[in-house]
Amino acid sequence: MKHLRRVLLKFCMLFVNSKVEAELAREIAAHVAFLEEEYLRQGLTPEEARRASRLAYGGVEQAKQLHRDERAFQGLGQILQDTRYTFRQLRRSPGFTGTVILMLALGIGATTAIFSIVEGVLLRPLPFRDPDGLVSLGDVLEGSHCASCADSSVTPPDIRNYMRGTQSFSHLGGYRGRLFELSGAGDPAAVNGTRMSGEVFAALGVPPLLGRTFTQQEDEENQQVVVLSYGMWRSRFHGDRNVLGSKILLYRKPYTVIGVMPRDFEFPLNPGHVNQSEFWLPLSLQPEEFAAGAAASWNSRMVGRLKPGISLEQAQSDAERVAQETMRDYPAFMRSLSIHAVVTPLHEDIVEQARPLVRTLFFAVIVVLLIVCANLAGLLLVRAIRRRREIAVRLALGARAGTLLREAIVESMLLSIAGGAIGFAMAAVALRVGVSLLPQTLPRIREIGLDLPVMLFALGLALLTGFLCGLAPAFAAIRTNVNEALKEGGRTGTLGSGHARLRSALVVAEIAVALTLLTASGLLLRSFEKMRQVKLGFRPENALAALYVLPHQQYRTQSAIDEFTKTLRNSVGQLPGVEAVGITSFLPASGNSWNIAFTIEGYVAPKGAGMNMAAMSLVEGDLFEALDVRVLRGRVFSESDNAGSQLVAVVNRKMAERYWPGQDPVGKRLRRGMPETSTPWMTIVGEVDDVKLGSRDADTTPQVYQPVTQTVASEAVFASVGELSGADGWIVLRSRMAPSQMEDTLRATLRNIDPQLPLYQMQTMEQAISKSEAPRRFNTALIALFASAAVVLSVLGIYSVIAFSVALREQEMAVRMALGFQRSGVILLILSSGAKLAAVGCGLGLLGAMAASHLLRSFLFEVSPFDPAVLALSASAMLLLAVAASTLPARRASSADPMMALRAE
Amino acid sequence: MSNKEKESIQLLQGTLDLIVLRTLATMGPQHAYQIATRLQQISDKLLNLNQGTLYPALVRLEQYGWIKGTWGRTESNREAKYYEITKAGQKALGVETKTWKRMAALVERLLLEES
Repeated sequence: MKHLRRVLLKFCMLFVNSKVEAELAREIAAHVAFLEEEYLRQGLTPEEARRASRLAYGGVEQAKQLHRDERAFQGLGQILQDTRYTFRQLRRSPGFTGTVILMLALGIGATTAIFSIVEGVLLRPLPFRDPDGLVSLGDVLEGSHCASCADSSVTPPDIRNYMRGTQSFSHLGGYRGRLFELSGAGDPAAVNGTRMSGEVFAALGVPPLLGRTFTQQEDEENQQVVVLSYGMWRSRFHGDRNVLGSKILLYRKPYTVIGVMPRDFEFPLNPGHVNQSEFWLPLSLQPEEFAAGAAASWNSRMVGRLKPGISLEQAQSDAERVAQETMRDYPAFMRSLSIHAVVTPLHEDIVEQARPLVRTLFFAVIVVLLIVCANLAGLLLVRAIRRRREIAVRLALGARAGTLLREAIVESMLLSIAGGAIGFAMAAVALRVGVSLLPQTLPRIREIGLDLPVMLFALGLALLTGFLCGLAPAFAAIRTNVNEALKEGGRTGTLGSGHARLRSALVVAEIAVALTLLTASGLLLRSFEKMRQVKLGFRPENALAALYVLPHQQYRTQSAIDEFTKTLRNSVGQLPGVEAVGITSFLPASGNSWNIAFTIEGYVAPKGAGMNMAAMSLVEGDLFEALDVRVLRGRVFSESDNAGSQLVAVVNRKMAERYWPGQDPVGKRLRRGMPETSTPWMTIVGEVDDVKLGSRDADTTPQVYQPVTQTVASEAVFASVGELSGADGWIVLRSRMAPSQMEDTLRATLRNIDPQLPLYQMQTMEQAISKSEAPRRFNTALIALFASAAVVLSVLGIYSVIAFSVALREQEMAVRMALGFQRSGVILLILSSGAKLAAVGCGLGLLGAMAASHLLRSFLFEVSPFDPAVLALSASAMLLLAVAASTLPARRASSADPMMALRAE
Repeated sequence: MSNKEKESIQLLQGTLDLIVLRTLATMGPQHAYQIATRLQQISDKLLNLNQGTLYPALVRLEQYGWIKGTWGRTESNREAKYYEITKAGQKALGVETKTWKRMAALVERLLLEES
């Protein structure tokens, strides 16, 4: 208690210092007066009495210091004093203070903003109960080379088998997202929903906000219940608490709302904003999902929670055992497939893809921050050198080195904290605007924000920056040689070479890192340019596309579906301005594709080549005309290729080159599935250009097109009983006018056919392409932004260093000129000193660029990280800018009047 | 803290505080000069210390809340800061005295055994 009281008092005493100090002086004066009086009484002369009393009392100043040390935390007091002193100093040079704070704000703000992304996307624990226990479980299908099969996915029978057969999981369930037609609550719309096992909710362990979640039992009993997301509850039900028990229609089937999840619940943690699941309903696997083709579709995923004490490896081997059993039970047509179970921590599974991008961004922003630090250290150093005389005088008067050190660090910390505060505000603004611009490849975007860890990061960053930047000028101050500095008198001639070397080193480092970033941005820009040159394989201008999905409830039979598509094609085809209209199951540039295995007649795969995978598109109408895909050989489909006629297919160039190199593929035959599957042959009737199904920088895959009407016949054993084809598709039309003008007409046409059917994702093909390019555009723009900031800052740095050294060497230049040195010689001298620094910096920067190349490699497209053109261009640009920055001070030096400069001595 | 101060406190650790408290308890409110004089009297000038070294002890005791300083006037109408022992100070004096005695007894015993 007494200590607590004392600590508080000792702290408070710091703020009433002058009052206490005055009182102490009064008390001491009184004390000495008493002593003096006493000595007078003893018969000493007044002179002797005063002397004796001073002796008896001891040193007044020492007593005061003891008192101060006892009553207050002096260390703190001095820092407080330093802070006041620094404030005064900084107020006197607002230009310097403003520049430095703004620079720091930019550096710290940008770093904080990017760190908040790193934190939200990569570092923060998943928003589930005990997230470390959560794992994803999936198959790796051997020999499949398609990108979409790389994710660990499972088939519907796998879900059942893994759930029944494994013992390592306390909860394990499957899920599968898809687009649903939602009606019964507002306008009909296409909404993302997730079908999932009741066990998934149990595994995640997040309690609902309202009502309850569904159980595994309800899932198995095919209960038609649904749990809403917070967002959907707010937007469609206006946050009504009585929503429980009401019904919504999904594909026109009624589902009862039983719960609402809290605001931050998100599952699956899909990349981007747009793919978030709006509701969850029981997986309730249907019999047809275990039959034939569906059983061989790796279209679902699984998530589970490990039992306590079970390791990842144990779970893995447990799952592997079940996978082996599953394979033993494979039907004949799947015999040659081989799968492995893979158990991955859920967090790993989610952030894997985002990691390179986020890491690169962080790297870029750290580079900018380093440059800011180097600049700040340089500026502070210049200031310290300017104040050399003052410091020397203070040292001569007995100031301790520690005091000077503390002062310098307090000054730079004060600056960096101010910069950090402004930077934090800037980061908040940037994030508000910026999150919507983030590419759709990042998961957990909604969790990005300025929270406590980010705030602590910013604060720590500001303190660290301030401390490190303060060290350079602090040591410069300490090393001040009092004799030298004072002896120089009015002369400000050439200064200690140690300081100059330090400043030069800072500038060299700045240029080096700026060049590294500049090179990176150059490489990315070049990749972007290369990507823009890649042929799409179709003509996006004047093409419009939209997705429709026919609800099973209304379109139960194949004839109903065929009737709908026929009417749709005819009515759209008759619209004024429409040149061609077609339907496809997969839209180019959308990033979606469906890869299946084919058996090629007469083709013997080289050993270890795996399955013959190709992207399958089911088409109808004049799709190739609507997309304007070039036909290279043979013909495309016509109305006579229908359910009853010979099975036909069209392949792309890549497919033709891979399986029939140097031959005409027309007339060759292929069929779906593996060799042991009994499927009918399809005859190739044509070869078309390679069409980019994803973004331009993605690899072109072999593609096979087939008339949608022949799907069921070609699937044979894969087809389930009563399977319907063509229940969904992208309608693509080519018009003579701007495609955006066709949007309303297309909607109106569809409404005439089925008033309840919504059209999804209506977009011009140019928009679709732009969307597919967005991630690369984002990376490129952001890195370019950082690079330009880095270049500007480092040019500023080189300018300030050269300008300062010129200012110091003014007399030297004057003397040179007075002795007949040419003005052009002066300019050359200064330019060359700038160029020298820049050249060394560029050399190091190129090395840095090479060191950073492995970070960048995954973002480059058809550009080597050592692309000589980019390296040479950025290095020479940097060099030129550095020389340009030196011209201004050089001209100033050369225009100095020798007489004036010398007289100023 | 400087080394000088540490030494002086080491010399008188606890004692100075105790003596000041004791003086104030028996003699009533006193100012610093009076306390210093008293100190010299009882130590029989064996304890030769600068009177200024009293001040840290005073501020420490005041911050503990054991004594309280108020400005007043002497009989000769000179101003001085008088220190007075507080209730908490009385209590602390009791505790500290006991502790001191126990400590002193212990040290004495130890020294006796050794000799």
